[in-house]
Amino acid sequence: MFKLALSSFKHRWRDYLVLFSGLVMSSAIFYMFEALATNKDFLKQNSMISMIGYVFQFGSVLLTIITLVYIGYANSFLLSMRKRDYGLFMLVGARKGKIGQLIWLETLLVGILATIIGILLGTGLTTGVSHLLVQTLDLTLKHFSAWYTTAALVTLVLYVGLFLIAGLFNLIALTKTPALKLLHSNDQPNRPQLHPVRQIIEVLVGVISIGIGYWAMSHLIDLQLAGIGIALVTIVLGTYLLFNAVFVWLVVLLKRFNWAQRGLNRFTLSQLSFRIRNYTKILSIVAMLFALALGAITTGMGFHQQVPLMAQGGSAYDLSLVNPTKAQQKTVNQLKPIRQATYRYKATTKVIYYNAADFNQQPFYTTHTIGKKQMSFKLVKNNAQQLKKSFYNYQLGDLQATVNINKKAVFLSAKAYHQLKQPEMQLVVFATKDFQKHFTTFKHLTKQQAKRSVNTRIGATGGRYYGYQVFNGMYSGLEFMGFFLGVAFLAMLASCLMFKILSGAAADRQRYRMLDKLGTTRSQLKKALRQEIAVLFILPGLVGIVHVLFGLQMFKIIMVTSPYQGIWLPFGIFAILYLGYYWLTLKIYQRLVL
Amino acid sequence: MPTTPIMTVADLHKTYGKAGSKQYEALKGIDFDVQPGEFVGIMGASGSGKTTLLNMLATLDQPTSGEVTIHQQPITHLKGNQLADFRAKEIGFIFQDFNLLETMTAYENIALPLMLQNVASKKIRPAVEQVATQLGINDFLTNYPNELSGGQKQRVAAARALINEPAILFGDEPTGALDSKSARELLDMFTKINQEQAVSILLVTHDPFSASYCQRILFIKDGKIGQELRRDQLSRRDFYQQILDTLGTFEQ
Repeated sequence: MFKLALSSFKHRWRDYLVLFSGLVMSSAIFYMFEALATNKDFLKQNSMISMIGYVFQFGSVLLTIITLVYIGYANSFLLSMRKRDYGLFMLVGARKGKIGQLIWLETLLVGILATIIGILLGTGLTTGVSHLLVQTLDLTLKHFSAWYTTAALVTLVLYVGLFLIAGLFNLIALTKTPALKLLHSNDQPNRPQLHPVRQIIEVLVGVISIGIGYWAMSHLIDLQLAGIGIALVTIVLGTYLLFNAVFVWLVVLLKRFNWAQRGLNRFTLSQLSFRIRNYTKILSIVAMLFALALGAITTGMGFHQQVPLMAQGGSAYDLSLVNPTKAQQKTVNQLKPIRQATYRYKATTKVIYYNAADFNQQPFYTTHTIGKKQMSFKLVKNNAQQLKKSFYNYQLGDLQATVNINKKAVFLSAKAYHQLKQPEMQLVVFATKDFQKHFTTFKHLTKQQAKRSVNTRIGATGGRYYGYQVFNGMYSGLEFMGFFLGVAFLAMLASCLMFKILSGAAADRQRYRMLDKLGTTRSQLKKALRQEIAVLFILPGLVGIVHVLFGLQMFKIIMVTSPYQGIWLPFGIFAILYLGYYWLTLKIYQRLVL
Repeated sequence: MPTTPIMTVADLHKTYGKAGSKQYEALKGIDFDVQPGEFVGIMGASGSGKTTLLNMLATLDQPTSGEVTIHQQPITHLKGNQLADFRAKEIGFIFQDFNLLETMTAYENIALPLMLQNVASKKIRPAVEQVATQLGINDFLTNYPNELSGGQKQRVAAARALINEPAILFGDEPTGALDSKSARELLDMFTKINQEQAVSILLVTHDPFSASYCQRILFIKDGKIGQELRRDQLSRRDFYQQILDTLGTFEQ
């Protein structure tokens, strides 16, 4: 009998491959997430706000729910593959107990094997993704490692637990059903149901709960942690109800158009309405994952964009040099600075004396933040008198050599200045059009200065170049979390959707064969496939985008810039990735079906 | 015969298995014609090659050598879109297992061939209703296949096969999955459309009762036509007896 079971396994290896790879991906991604979520040192080190730990806990809960549904799907797929076989075994007289053992064993074996491979794959993915992110985004990471034992244990326990339950469920489902029913389990009724009253209620409840969720996200400051919890529950629920209610109607409505009578359009619509019950759950999950992935990437990118902005806000100049050599001055000139000034000074142990005339001839620019938003700022010209009074005059001190940073600045008349006995020094400050372009030159210059020990700077924030380093160090952790989670959720989304779509391939294969016999051209068949899968990708995508647009409200708390700034870039990147997944799914599906 | 045949089959061979490996010759040279409006049956035991033959006639499979012509058009070398168009326009096909799309209603199943050819949607509904009335399935057009009985399903399949007014209708054991009453109704309906609309029908079956509705029967044995039987003026009952007798000696 085990031989029998094995033979049908060989026979349907393609379906098993889909199932198995789906489970491996799912556990790999769960591990990826947990590798961040359970790594307390990393979270502590990298979050400016204590809330982030809780955010990850909520994330874990959400991912567990998703995993639950995912395994449910995988299990029913496994069950549907095996129903006929087990029915056959029963017909030839196999004992129920024996079959029960077999089912239990098979479910657990597939599950545990997939989980172990998944954890290994997850470790590999974590390594790859973190390396890639650190390199491309120029991040600094502390306390992060791809292998985290706690995460592996959590993943293993959850998955094995779920598979134990799934095995039990299969056992009951299969042994309680009569053999004949098992044999014919594929011929179920499928009339799409329209219950206007129920659907209107579903739409209402769905819209209201999504509304509550959006409200909670934008009032996170008042609601604190509860806000995240509320948003999580209501948005998941609302998305599901909306899909459930609207999707059926949409298809029935579309069928009325003339357009629906052309070619295979009607067939495609029927396919969709036939699958509605199965798809609403997965579509809501995919919409949620879409929102999470896109949200995470957008936030990560937001943090990334914030760093140069903050650096720009901190100073009007890119870099300062004390007593530059001729060669250094030449290098600076080659950068074609848009602002440059040379200020002479004489320093005592406590005071720096500047020649006021220098400032009157070459005004010193300070950056001033305007309005409530810290990140919009303007440049202001200062002569010596103005600078003395300005609140922002610390920006001059910040540009000084480290030894001088805490000294008081005094602006003297030329006459008084020249009477001082201290050696005269020069402070050259300059700004280029785009300071991020010249990082290598800046690095080179500061190294030279450090060697001459005239301008060593440690931990100073003055000058955009230094500011960038400091802020980048601060934000790296958050950026990393954003991008890492974005990638993880995106992968989960892809595997969810692909798995669901591909698991229906066997049934579709027959339908497309029939169409072929009826005289459908290959291009018509391909078009129908394209459309069917496109709808399944577009719907959750749209809902996901809306979720993200509202969800970004949450990040107003921790982001200095508006979370909506430059939003097209992450959206664009995401769209390309998503399109890639669509294309891949389509190709695999075409290969399986046509 | 004064008229040109609707279908000619000339020296049709089919060999399975690649050259060099173990080969099996399923068809060893088949020749016959079908006249317009004729109701022809092909009989043979399992493995005689009758399904192979039908698959080739209906362009579902390609012969190793020989030629099939339907409506003066050679069909064995059709490919891609030409093939699809030919299937959609010139032939109708009824299968033993109905081959209805269970995701679509009866109406949608019947209308499908017209939709595939992008027929104007205004013309579709009258066409479907007309053929449905003919086959007596007007009442369950909005039902899904799994809500229909076997006989009803097969009539829907027949309606789908007839809606584009094909040159010839192929049936592959269409009564195979039906109870005797439904089978009789379906065969009566075949006779009716054959006589009233002069639709040519080619029926493959191993069931003598179904075959007795035909005007001419070709018996296939081991990949060749072994015998031909004409009904002429015989009653169906007598023809049935004759078929039984022929089978009795033929299969020995």
